[in-house]
Amino acid sequence: MTIALGVLQVVLLVIGAPLLRGIVGRLKAVLQRRRGAPIWRPYADIWKLLHKEDLVPPSASGVFGLAPLLLLVTSILATAFVPLLTNSALLGSAGDFILMVYLLAFGRFFLALGGIDGGSAFGGMGASREALVSSLAEAPLLLGLVAVAIQASSASIVGMTQWALERNFFNISAVHLLAFLALGIVALAETGRMPVDNPATHLELTMIHEGMVLEYSGPNLALIEWASAIKLGFMVGLLIALFAPWGMATTLSPAALGLAVVAMLAKMFALAAALAVIESGIAKLRMYAVPDFLGVAAAFGTLAVIFTALMKR
Amino acid sequence: MGLNSQPSLGTSDRSLFDPRFRKAGRLIAGLVAVATLGACGAGGRSLLNSEVRKLNPSLLAPFPFTFSLDRLGFFFLILICAVSLPVALFSVSYVRRHYSAARQKWLWALLFLFVASMAGVVAASSGFAFLVSWEIMSLASAGLILIEGSSGDRRHNLFIYLLMTHAGTAAVIAAFLVFLPHSHSLDFAAIRAAGATLPPGVRMALFLLAFAGFGTKAGIIPLHLWLPRAHPIAPSPASALMSGVMLKIAVYGFVRFAFDFLGGGPAWFGYLVLVAGAASGLLGVLYAIAEHDLKRLLAYHSVENIGIIYLGLGASLIFMAHNARVWAALALAGALLHTLNHALFKSLLFLGAGAISDSTHTVDLEKLGGLQRRMPVTGAVFLIGCCSIIGLPLFNGFISEWMIFRSFLGGSTLLNTNAQTLLPLMAGVLALIGGLAAACFVKVFGVAFLGRPRSQEAEHASEAPLSMRAGMLLLAAACVAIGIWPGGFLRPIVSLAQSLVGAPAAPPETLLIASVIPWVAAAFLALLAVVSVLKRAKRQTPTWACGLPGLTSRMQYTSTAFSKPIRFVFGRVYKADRKREVLPADQPYFPGSISYHSVRTTSYERLLYRPFVEGVVAAANQLRRLQTGNIQVYLLYIVVTLVSLLLYLRFAG
Repeated sequence: MTIALGVLQVVLLVIGAPLLRGIVGRLKAVLQRRRGAPIWRPYADIWKLLHKEDLVPPSASGVFGLAPLLLLVTSILATAFVPLLTNSALLGSAGDFILMVYLLAFGRFFLALGGIDGGSAFGGMGASREALVSSLAEAPLLLGLVAVAIQASSASIVGMTQWALERNFFNISAVHLLAFLALGIVALAETGRMPVDNPATHLELTMIHEGMVLEYSGPNLALIEWASAIKLGFMVGLLIALFAPWGMATTLSPAALGLAVVAMLAKMFALAAALAVIESGIAKLRMYAVPDFLGVAAAFGTLAVIFTALMKR
Repeated sequence: MGLNSQPSLGTSDRSLFDPRFRKAGRLIAGLVAVATLGACGAGGRSLLNSEVRKLNPSLLAPFPFTFSLDRLGFFFLILICAVSLPVALFSVSYVRRHYSAARQKWLWALLFLFVASMAGVVAASSGFAFLVSWEIMSLASAGLILIEGSSGDRRHNLFIYLLMTHAGTAAVIAAFLVFLPHSHSLDFAAIRAAGATLPPGVRMALFLLAFAGFGTKAGIIPLHLWLPRAHPIAPSPASALMSGVMLKIAVYGFVRFAFDFLGGGPAWFGYLVLVAGAASGLLGVLYAIAEHDLKRLLAYHSVENIGIIYLGLGASLIFMAHNARVWAALALAGALLHTLNHALFKSLLFLGAGAISDSTHTVDLEKLGGLQRRMPVTGAVFLIGCCSIIGLPLFNGFISEWMIFRSFLGGSTLLNTNAQTLLPLMAGVLALIGGLAAACFVKVFGVAFLGRPRSQEAEHASEAPLSMRAGMLLLAAACVAIGIWPGGFLRPIVSLAQSLVGAPAAPPETLLIASVIPWVAAAFLALLAVVSVLKRAKRQTPTWACGLPGLTSRMQYTSTAFSKPIRFVFGRVYKADRKREVLPADQPYFPGSISYHSVRTTSYERLLYRPFVEGVVAAANQLRRLQTGNIQVYLLYIVVTLVSLLLYLRFAG
């Protein structure tokens, strides 16, 4: 039963992720007084791309085609760590946050290689910038998770969620606020959102993620788009599970599950709205201001770990 | 049984020397292989129980000259064999293609002597045997460097290597001598017995000597100066052995001293090792990113990985000082596994660099590119090496880094504020090291193997010959095997670590990772199969070049360009010496030519080594005044010495 539920959660997140992206896009449009595309648009995009021809640059090797596959597979595997409706996940208790973080790194590594494999200037540029951002984002991500893990005395995501579930909103510590800020900043960087990267532009001065995937087309691009949607859904799900898991079903009764679905959707919508506000309200940072931004996240993460240690005494 | 590999290695190099036995070379190589495998098998069994095998050729030597293998020795013997065998296989073609017949003989002889001496170090059970093997190891590796030629530059780098390695050896000898008054013998058993009852001051001196001595050989910053100089100029199989195995022998020596002989110590031992590891890891990877000579880059990554190993060793020492033995076992097992892993993937990467230079005659990343299409097998195994070294899941580097991460988390359970804050924070440092290493290997693989070729040589590269591919494939297979089925490899290593730190139980985390990783691997493959259904037939088409005739390789990001953002952000670390010359000088706005020259990582030499060398030279100049060359003065010295000794005996005795 738990396995079935775990598979269901993964499928829900993988299938539902493009919708979240569509909602963010729509909310941004509303905030900017535009009409905006329908929220189902990302599905249509993926469907369209999946039926197109796969165009490959002549210099590309097998890595070019392998990268999107590996990116999607590792993104899906990462979602298996996140509890959504009940506090259980396929890998949520057996695997720990380190494995989860490094699975994400796996996909990123290959996508950057794929970008270079195109043999054009933009792919290398995107890969180089992505290498900078992701290498600096890894430390704050892990530090934030370490702080929460020490508080919860558990390295598994399910254990950390359980710890938060047993407390109410006002009872979880200030450490969580710091860790949340660290992880929130990293989430913006990891998913290629403002102010680190602008997903809506193809301006060579600014693009990071889009530069990397510029040579991709057809099904390859569909896989990449889908994977980045999943990554967004994963990050949102992770933040909810770690910092605001209340409302998850504790029993498997239909009523509890229904409530959990409603609570999860509401929280996801709230985070999507927050993301839309951030993206509409903040300009993109200059390339070399991004390390400072991530440095702030690292400082939050470091403080979170230090306070955790001091509070444990 | 386990020692069988030793004599056969010895005979084989003599046989290769002899022209009559040239035909028999293959047979002997086969025998060596079988003996090595036998040693591995015997070692694998012996890792689990604690029986000790002995060999005592003391009759041949004036000093106790004994060899025996305990579990720690066996572990490192397996490591040596597991790397040497594929390297030897690789060398079969490589050596034949690169060197004249006379040099080939020297190379094989020195290579086997090198391997045998390293096996001698880990098998030694007395200080004398240890030091003799250690010295042969250093000299054989120096000889291997000379095989490639002896230009002035090369001799200068070799001199620095020999100087530093002997400074390290001096510290190791001093460490043994400090033991002597307490153990009354250089036999390891006596040393071990004395280690438990040392006064704190002696313990501290011993630890510092071992740390500096073995740290020099392992290449921890700031004692790493020789490493990026010596490794790149050795023949590729030798660099693989030097980086993959010889550095591990230094780790062995440190573990032997710090854990086996001394049995840990006060917590600051651990903090010292931890900080040294963090500094080596971070600076090593940052220097590596700035390099575009592939072998120098890999050498700096050895500094980084030794840093990671020292992070694990330091954490283990801290846990031991706070009597958290199970956590200490986890950290030590992580460090030992990372030692094995680094031996495998680093020698794989160095062999890959050898295959590249074999095919393109360069290891300069700026002249490579597009090799994946021309050398698919080399590219695939090199990619496996890259994935392993940056610690991606399903590859071996992840398992050991994971264990070190988890032991850092365990630091929060200690009842000591320093350990509670510092150890979890080290997780952040390790993550930063991992992230930067990933960036670096995106650069290495992306620039060397992907995209368009940047030179004629790279354009016409061809796949490496069979034996070279076979050697690399063996190492790659080992990397993947440990990565997806860690359980089988962890059990003996954890039990070894347990016995070294005296842990009552195996850390539960190791069982966790051993059980979850195969499932993740299975899920990964299943998902990969499912997702590949979505792929379509592909069609090659040129990239749109903004209306220009077409993209050229000059439009690609180079290695230097790729690393520029990271070098910019960490600019303080590099302190580059930049020289810009504009010719002619009186026309700054319309110059005829501009030359730009940038040298990095010189601050160690300038700030640390230069004053030291100048101090030594100044002291030597002062001492020279004693040497007048006048025989009466020397007679006076003798009389003064004699009288003072007599006075000492009269009043002190």
